[in-house]
Amino acid sequence: MQVDRLTSGPYEHERLHNGEHDAAELLGVPSNSLDIKKLSDPIPTAADKWQLLPAFLRVKGLVKQHIDSFNYFIEVDLKKIVKANELVTSDVDPGFYLKYTGIRVGMPERLDPDAANRSITPHECRLRDMTYAAPVAVDIEYTRGKSRVIRKGVVIGRMPIMLRSARCVLTGKNEAEMAQMQECPLDPGGYFIVRGTEKVILVQEQMSKNRIIVQKDSKGFMGANVQSSTHELKSKTYVYIKNNRLYLKHNMIAEDVPLVVAMRAMGMTADKEIAQLIAGIDPLYLDMLSPTLEEGAASKIFTQRAALEFIGAKVKGIGRRQGAPRRTPHEDALDVLANVVVAHVPVNSSDFRAKCVYMAMMARRVLQAVSKGEDTDDLDYLGNKRLELAGQLIALLFEDLFKRFNSDLKLNVDKVLKKPNLARAFDVYNQLLCHGDLITQGLTRAISTGNWSLKRFKMDRAGVTHILSRLSYIAALGMMTRISSQFEKTRKVSGPRALQPSQWGMLCPADTPEGELCGLVKNLALMTHITTDDEEEPIRRVAFALGVEDASLITGTELHAPGTHIVFLNGLILGITRSAQRFVWHFRTLRRSGRIPAFVSIYIDDHRNSVNISADNGRICRPVIIVENGKSRVKDEHIQQLMRDEMQFDDFLRLGLIEYLDVNEENDTNIAIYENEIKPYTTHLEIEPFTLLGAVAGLIPYPHHNQSPRNTYQSAMGKQAIGAIAYNQLNRIDTLLYLMVYPQQPMVKTKTIELINYDKLPAGQNGSVFVMSYSGYDIEDALVINKASLDRGFGRCQVMRKFTAIVRKYANGTYDRVLGAPTTPDGTVLDKYSQVDDDGMAAPGVRLENGQVYLNKQSPVDGGNDINAGTGAADTVEYRPTPMTFKYPDHGYVDKVMITTSETDQTLIKFLLRQTRRPELGDKFSSRHGQKGVCGIIVQQEDMPFTDRGIYPDIIMNPHGFPSRMTVGKLMEFVASKAGAVKGELQYGTCFGGSRMEDMCRILVEHGYSYTGKDYVTSGITGEPVGAYIFNGATYYQRLKHMVADKMHARARGPRAVLTRQPTEGRSRDGGLRLGEMEKDCLIGYGASMLLLERLMISSDVFEVHVCEGCGYIGYKGWCQMCRSSKSMVPIKIPYACKLLFQELQSMNILPRLMMENI
Amino acid sequence: MNGSAHVGDQNAPRVRIRSLDKTNVDFVLSNTSLSVANSLRRVMIAEVPTMAIDLVEFYENTTVLADEYIAHRLGLIPLVSHTVDKFKYTRDCTCAEYCKECSVEFTLHIKCTESGTRTVYSSELISSNKDVVPVLETEDDRGAILVKMRKGQELNVHCIAKKGVAKEHSKWSPCAAVAFEYDPHNNLRHLDYWYEKSIKDEWPLSKNALEEQERDPSAPFDYKAEPTTFYFNVETIGCLDPQEVVTKATRVLQEKLGGLQLALDEDQAPDAAANVDDGEPWV
Repeated sequence: MQVDRLTSGPYEHERLHNGEHDAAELLGVPSNSLDIKKLSDPIPTAADKWQLLPAFLRVKGLVKQHIDSFNYFIEVDLKKIVKANELVTSDVDPGFYLKYTGIRVGMPERLDPDAANRSITPHECRLRDMTYAAPVAVDIEYTRGKSRVIRKGVVIGRMPIMLRSARCVLTGKNEAEMAQMQECPLDPGGYFIVRGTEKVILVQEQMSKNRIIVQKDSKGFMGANVQSSTHELKSKTYVYIKNNRLYLKHNMIAEDVPLVVAMRAMGMTADKEIAQLIAGIDPLYLDMLSPTLEEGAASKIFTQRAALEFIGAKVKGIGRRQGAPRRTPHEDALDVLANVVVAHVPVNSSDFRAKCVYMAMMARRVLQAVSKGEDTDDLDYLGNKRLELAGQLIALLFEDLFKRFNSDLKLNVDKVLKKPNLARAFDVYNQLLCHGDLITQGLTRAISTGNWSLKRFKMDRAGVTHILSRLSYIAALGMMTRISSQFEKTRKVSGPRALQPSQWGMLCPADTPEGELCGLVKNLALMTHITTDDEEEPIRRVAFALGVEDASLITGTELHAPGTHIVFLNGLILGITRSAQRFVWHFRTLRRSGRIPAFVSIYIDDHRNSVNISADNGRICRPVIIVENGKSRVKDEHIQQLMRDEMQFDDFLRLGLIEYLDVNEENDTNIAIYENEIKPYTTHLEIEPFTLLGAVAGLIPYPHHNQSPRNTYQSAMGKQAIGAIAYNQLNRIDTLLYLMVYPQQPMVKTKTIELINYDKLPAGQNGSVFVMSYSGYDIEDALVINKASLDRGFGRCQVMRKFTAIVRKYANGTYDRVLGAPTTPDGTVLDKYSQVDDDGMAAPGVRLENGQVYLNKQSPVDGGNDINAGTGAADTVEYRPTPMTFKYPDHGYVDKVMITTSETDQTLIKFLLRQTRRPELGDKFSSRHGQKGVCGIIVQQEDMPFTDRGIYPDIIMNPHGFPSRMTVGKLMEFVASKAGAVKGELQYGTCFGGSRMEDMCRILVEHGYSYTGKDYVTSGITGEPVGAYIFNGATYYQRLKHMVADKMHARARGPRAVLTRQPTEGRSRDGGLRLGEMEKDCLIGYGASMLLLERLMISSDVFEVHVCEGCGYIGYKGWCQMCRSSKSMVPIKIPYACKLLFQELQSMNILPRLMMENI
Repeated sequence: MNGSAHVGDQNAPRVRIRSLDKTNVDFVLSNTSLSVANSLRRVMIAEVPTMAIDLVEFYENTTVLADEYIAHRLGLIPLVSHTVDKFKYTRDCTCAEYCKECSVEFTLHIKCTESGTRTVYSSELISSNKDVVPVLETEDDRGAILVKMRKGQELNVHCIAKKGVAKEHSKWSPCAAVAFEYDPHNNLRHLDYWYEKSIKDEWPLSKNALEEQERDPSAPFDYKAEPTTFYFNVETIGCLDPQEVVTKATRVLQEKLGGLQLALDEDQAPDAAANVDDGEPWV
């Protein structure tokens, strides 16, 4: 049979042929199915369009969303914030002012005084526990006495810098320069280094702001709500229908206001105008509106004044500023309506019309929902969601801090200016300099603790930042694409957790944790981009130029006339258009030609008769190929140019070959997945279907053949696999670092693997795996492992641990000291100290056993805060030893010792201790298909089964792992990697593509193997063939971080807690093994009372007390203090905790008496 | 192997070598039972003694690889072990730690002074015994890569190679792969082929099938038949010649049996009761 060579390159995506394979066909027997096959093959056009992916990643990088967001903040948002808060004036001297005219963030700088080269690398920050931060400089203009002063570059604080952002020293550096800076070129960046730890600001998922959402409230009333968000405040406004009447509800207004009254208060007094705005001339809506209008009439409020008085009486008093004049209810109402209710609709000089129209729009949405039978919005729809990134979060924080900085500055200025007769003209510059810590401290504290508390927005979020997991490269990468949701996890609704169809291509369907956070924590797909803000003004102008009629110039009748579409821009009503299709087409054409920013989205909502333009931040979008007249705009020649490096990804965008679609616009398109599926109505073409998976799920070979939870399990486990972390892994000093000794790239790769460089930093090894039962030590997914493989380095790993010591200086002038090993009186050195050098530290390469000292440090006995206590002279100070000892059962080696000073000028000593571990019984392994197992037995090579060619397995896996798990992808990986191994090439298991099983089977047959992947296997023990043919092949196995050496624990006797005298808890404290509640219940049920007594008391905290039979009081050594006698004391044994309880009760004036009785 | 058999005996096991080169021997073992053939295979893998580096003393290691890492790599280097029989196992030797009787010393001291990458090969190990050196395939083969160094890095180690067997650690195994097969036509029906349509099409015959006749399918099945001919292919890693591996393996097997024989004989002797628990009689 012929193979169509055109379509069988390793990169070629093909749809797998379904149906059964004909054995004869695979074996090369000619068949006549060729013609039929040809027809179903994809048409070879622009076949390498997947090449756009690496081009995309080259431009954007893997964590572009974080970096883009931070860059936007630094370049644009920061300036806007300063512009909005530019003026500081004084209440005392009206002539004084200070104006910020500009702000800049510099490059990261070191703080060390007298440093010649002030530039600093991220790696130095990691090692020296410093913050990777750059100075924030402002230009100011202020008055000094009578003169005006301009200063440029005044540093007001330090801003932590995101790695690989525009202000990072790593940006634009090549691999060699990166190596010079000890930085891994494959590291994605996008995180911060604060006090030496790498911190990620997770992407936060939220409901979109400034958009009308129609929903039923808890009482069952249909309502439209909008969460307004401006720089000043956030507020939520509701318009809802109750007993067929519309009301306005807002937190600031104590009672719900009839909508008509609210409209009148905003100056729209005529019922007709209100009715027109809400209902147009549609009789259905007019009917529905009549009860509302009747109520308005019944309320006898007909003028704006009356309506304002009515609302004003209900406005909640906010803490008014002192001295502010008391306002009338009417003014209150006006203020609330103008600035708080639907705050994002601007009210310019009391022109409430825009707000009226907006509220009418909300009311119309409610009526629409009611009339269409509960047609509410889907809260879980991704188009109603916005993702908040590092840039936005830091912007919020910075604005808060900057405002506080300015108000503090103002207070100080007032204080100084109040003084009469200043000797010199007051220079605010000096004041400015001494406030620098506020911003620096605020930013670093928020990032290092993850507590985002902004009083302005009543925002108090914890856990915004996380320590970047460096368990493996994939773990770090997975963390950068993670999205955490703001929903509470306790709520028992499935909606937010469920997989939404709108997540296609945007969020990974597989990568989510199991358990309580399932579905709430998500991950971005491979090509997802998250937008930043675009300027509204140019878009508005373009819209008007394209024929949009300004909303302020038209009546309600026109607004809701049939065939008219209302145009929204970022949720605000812009105007109307009578030819929506044409308008949108023109708009898109402009965007494709680059006249409008690429991330501005536009779509028609036919249900609402609206055209929505969005240019706000946090929208999720992705690039797709544009299809025109049934043809993909990306042609083969473009791809050729791309591969020749003559075109970049951005050129495709510029030429209008591809465009970004956000979730809402995606709904307005028709996207073909494959080129041969393009129909006349198709508007777009996917770049590659496998990009719907994220970076972590992209590692799985043939994931489209697996049962879906298995891909989810692997997505969780891939992050625990031990492998290579980064190119600089040996220069890093991390708290805990697992490194594989011989990591290999997988035999069956995916395109994602190559794109995210997993082949350069792999975590796992290709093992020869036989699927058969062996020895009975393989039940419940246990693996049988070949001892010879372990001898040769299979699964071997290194564990590095950091231990930090600070040589402190104390307030009283004393300081810690580090000394050489102490000698015993007879001149020998104790074994405990034998590894310590003269400098008091163990040298690199030295072997440490449990209990040996590696840093012989001593601290002053009185290190205290009492400054007068000591003179600081070393000879008068008493020291106590505070050494650092190696506390692991197995031995380890000193890998590195680093001595440096931290930012606070304390001497910092870091030890990196290393252990090399070969796999042992109970260590955990996993393939890439969610099939984890522990090592059940290690078998000598000669006892292992082997094929007729003398191939032995590294791992034997029990076949019972397959039927219930249904990981067909794993079976395919076996065959593909076996074929790859015999042919000497790598195979691909890319999702929705990859090497075809037919080809793989053919390769196997060509090399004398069975196409089934099975082989004739002889038992190593008897020499006889085993009863069945054994399915085998090379499979990528990951060693997971869970190792017996870290968990093994037993105790007979050991330490006890001081207070209760019960055994301590936990392995790290050599704790006891708890006989828990359920175990206790078993023993009760069984009636083993003596065993219970022994376990719960005798082996735990038994204590003998002497009890007075007379008074029942606990005495002491046969003496009752209460009865003042020793006559009737009896010793009894009770748990110490019980005795403790009695004494605690006594201290609260409760006297428990123990009454004795003979039994 | 059979005590009564001698050369030329019709019932004695026979070995026919089909091909032999530097690293491979292909032979047919016939006139023996399956258990004997399998024993031979197991012994070749696990119990033929060779030399391998077992202890490494580090004087200086400023390379990127950790000490254990390099020690492990050194251990896995195949050493030419034709003279392995002249050495004692260290546990049987009279010396305290190691000596010339039971070990070979290697030194390696390399410092990178050039600006590029300096690759250290196993051929750079300096042996104290000219007969025990790292295996090199050809004259200009430099052996296995131990470590790569950059300017200023230094490696100074002292290694002690000892005699051992692969049962303890697979670095002492002389074999890479041992292929083993019998009854290529499945005349004995030890196998139950899995197939979709036709056994013949789907299960290609191995080259050993040429050696034997296929059973006449019409003839009645002889359920008492035993396998007598075994096809071996032994591939070595170079420390011993392939034929050496086979002969040494038979010797090891013989010694083990001899030891057993001796123990049994003593057991039957009248005064056997006196020395029952007398250590390991066959060593």
